[in-house]
Amino acid sequence: MGLKKFVAMRLLYGIIGLIGLSILVFILARVLPGDPARMALGPNASQAAVNALRAQLHLNDPLPIQYWYWISGIFTGNWGLSLYTHRNVLIDVEQFFPATLELIIGAAIIDLIFAIPLGLAAGKMENTWVDNIIRIITYIGIAIPSFVVAIILQLTLGYGLHLFPIIGMLSPNISPPPHITGVVVIDALITGEFNVAADAIWHLILPSFSLALGPLAQEARLLRSGVVENKNKDFTLNEIAQGFPERLITFKYLLKPSLISMISIYALDISSIIANAFLIELIFNWPGLSRYGLTAMLSKDLNAIIAVILIAGILFVIANLIVDLIVGYLDPRIGERQGEENE
Amino acid sequence: MVEEKQPSTSRRKLWLVITVIVAVIIIIAAISISLYKPSTPSTKPISPSAETLSITWANVPNIDPAIGSDEASSAALVNLYDSLIFPTANGTLLPDLATSWSVSSDGMVYTFNLRTNVTFHNGDHLTAQDVVFSMNRLLTMKQGYSYLFLPYVKNVSAPSEYTVVFTLNKPFALFIQSLVRLYVLDEKQVMSHIGSGSYGSYGDYGSTWLLTHDAGSGPYMVKYVNLEANMTLEEYPHYWAGLNPKQPKYVQFIGTTQTSTVTALFSSKQIQITDMWQQYSTIQNLASLPGAKMAIIQSAESQEMYLMINTQKPPTDDIYVREAMFYALNYTAIVTQIFPGQSLAAGPVPTSLPGHDPSIPYSHQNLTLANEVIKKSKYYGQLNKYPVTYYWVTEVPAEQKLALLFASDMAKIGITVNVVGVPWLSVIADLSNVSTSPNIVSIEVASTYLDALSILQQRYTLAAQGTWAQNEWLNNSTINDMIINATTILNQTERYQLEYKIQQMIYNSYISIYAFDVNDIRAYYPGIVDWYAANGHPIPLLGYDFVFRNFVFNVTAMI
Repeated sequence: MGLKKFVAMRLLYGIIGLIGLSILVFILARVLPGDPARMALGPNASQAAVNALRAQLHLNDPLPIQYWYWISGIFTGNWGLSLYTHRNVLIDVEQFFPATLELIIGAAIIDLIFAIPLGLAAGKMENTWVDNIIRIITYIGIAIPSFVVAIILQLTLGYGLHLFPIIGMLSPNISPPPHITGVVVIDALITGEFNVAADAIWHLILPSFSLALGPLAQEARLLRSGVVENKNKDFTLNEIAQGFPERLITFKYLLKPSLISMISIYALDISSIIANAFLIELIFNWPGLSRYGLTAMLSKDLNAIIAVILIAGILFVIANLIVDLIVGYLDPRIGERQGEENE
Repeated sequence: MVEEKQPSTSRRKLWLVITVIVAVIIIIAAISISLYKPSTPSTKPISPSAETLSITWANVPNIDPAIGSDEASSAALVNLYDSLIFPTANGTLLPDLATSWSVSSDGMVYTFNLRTNVTFHNGDHLTAQDVVFSMNRLLTMKQGYSYLFLPYVKNVSAPSEYTVVFTLNKPFALFIQSLVRLYVLDEKQVMSHIGSGSYGSYGDYGSTWLLTHDAGSGPYMVKYVNLEANMTLEEYPHYWAGLNPKQPKYVQFIGTTQTSTVTALFSSKQIQITDMWQQYSTIQNLASLPGAKMAIIQSAESQEMYLMINTQKPPTDDIYVREAMFYALNYTAIVTQIFPGQSLAAGPVPTSLPGHDPSIPYSHQNLTLANEVIKKSKYYGQLNKYPVTYYWVTEVPAEQKLALLFASDMAKIGITVNVVGVPWLSVIADLSNVSTSPNIVSIEVASTYLDALSILQQRYTLAAQGTWAQNEWLNNSTINDMIINATTILNQTERYQLEYKIQQMIYNSYISIYAFDVNDIRAYYPGIVDWYAANGHPIPLLGYDFVFRNFVFNVTAMI
């Protein structure tokens, strides 16, 4: 009962947070300089045409009225007109979000694949040459911005060594799979087009790695700290004294409590990728939501701006909830405390 | 011996929750697969091979003829659609969809006779009714190039299957020239794809569908569109004028200007022509690759960089201050160091535009004259109390160097300049009011049709005040009336004489500084693509340097 209530309360807080976020972004987007109607129609359009579009978009109405028009349309699938694509923003989101989701999933997988072994190895072999090398790698990963990593990888592995494609989601001679989820790799696997899935994964590696490097370096450091702290604790020493196998101690009794801080940051990093991915999507010509959001902001496409930021907010809420559940599982003391607080 | 603890109750519940979530996802996926219908009808991408000409652009084109008007969109539109007439480099017009035309003596009624053998890409026959529909659609949506027609077109009709009549509500001597921007759509096809929108019974006028499809008759048709990424065109085999056997079979528009991306793509020949937004140094480096070359297309889109001077704000309200600034600036440094590859300007109209006054000299520095003139100014001796505010647009970083050069040169004649970087949206907002307009702002302006009046109308009429195209706040009804009058003169020689007079008046009032004429600078592979514009035969109208049917594409050089 405590867990159900906990989940329900977190979802409620999340929804309240999203409403507040939508109001804040709504106001900010309209307060910033620039006339979205003029941007949409172009600099040579007549003032009469601009005024007509402003009236159509309710831009002359008071802000609360404008917000009401927008919020009442959200639940009926009318997310407003995009001044950039000139169609319902919901259609744009349906088209572009899966591409960014694909990047998020790719980055999440790469993050885990590298962060856990690196952090565990560094922590177990504290102050050895292995630890030092991993430390240098992680510092580099934290210090270098993701777009710099992207450019380096594109020019070296893409152009220089021809190991990976320079841009795009698929090779020109590959047709995309039927649209089921919109995530090309998943759709290709569902429909059994394994060559398409392989090509899509090949295109996904460089942009996903560029996005994942910074977070995985940070998380590896966190995991290392956790391992170093926990390996000297009484319970670990007790297990060693009891003669537990090394592998069991490392992967069950040491890793689990050490993952808590890493997992907390991991989920937040992954959910924030949508906000950080626009440069990666620009560099790799990836048709994702982040790039669409950047275009929206530069052209003051009000409805598109709110939609992109709301989606980022929703991902953040979901990620936070999942983090809390996982942390509760990893450390039963935290899980029981969460249940007690909500009873 | 190791004994595992029994899982706690809360842990069992957690596993139950996770299992339920995974099961729900699987069920949803299974239902989705069984109920799968494509959300939008889409064509699969082609398999472009070595027969594809690939070019990078600032954005993926908007190929709705009533909306798209930027560089990439214009280049796509001229290939996907036909218009009634076709422009040439010297301003003359060739028949395109129209075989002949006549104008009433009062210049109010234009009658066009159409070809009878034109088909749209879906096989429909092109008739006069499609022209009527296309114009009405453009005027109703009021976007894209509609501004060329909205003030003038009263009515358009099709008295017969292949005759179109335009009736104007006031004479416009350049009406025929402006018709290059009326791209003809298939009415039947567009109307079969209308969605919900704000145009009454016309819904959205097909604009959502036209984002990823075309309804044209041009030498190319849309094969695949991936908004935010790329667009591929394929040649239309039944084009009414026939195809050039050496034109590229496919053309790919790649929407990116990221330097590293463009460098990697061009170096590996995955693109054959770069975009025009790269730094000059980048173009130089790319052009030094084996087989590559720099293309400098003179006044490609009849654009000019202006330093627009506010004539209502001190100290630039004084003609002597303006004249001194005009002669103090080092124009040679601009076109050799800051914007290398660009050309010196000569007056308020780009030199490539028909109607440009050839008697106006090129912009040149004369510090001696500048120092003499500034002494005549009422502000002389107290110029330090009247600093000049100079806005440069932050989206174009090179403009900051121009601003700093200007400030440095003005210091030589005692004028203090405050250089301020401002985002484009803020520039537009500030220029809407004389009190918030700066003393000077640097902006590029392009012509919209092939005549000097295009620039004069945009820049120097009373209607231009408060828009981004005029910071001068001229308030000159004489010049305004002369420009309006010129638009009604059908005789070209007579019209040009008046245009020359207007340009001289503007030039002699020193209300603008003419920094340079904008050239289009790109890197390309001449061995792969024989490009008429790069060979010295550009058509100085936005998009018309990319008529792909006139390209010669060497497929074997791609392999």
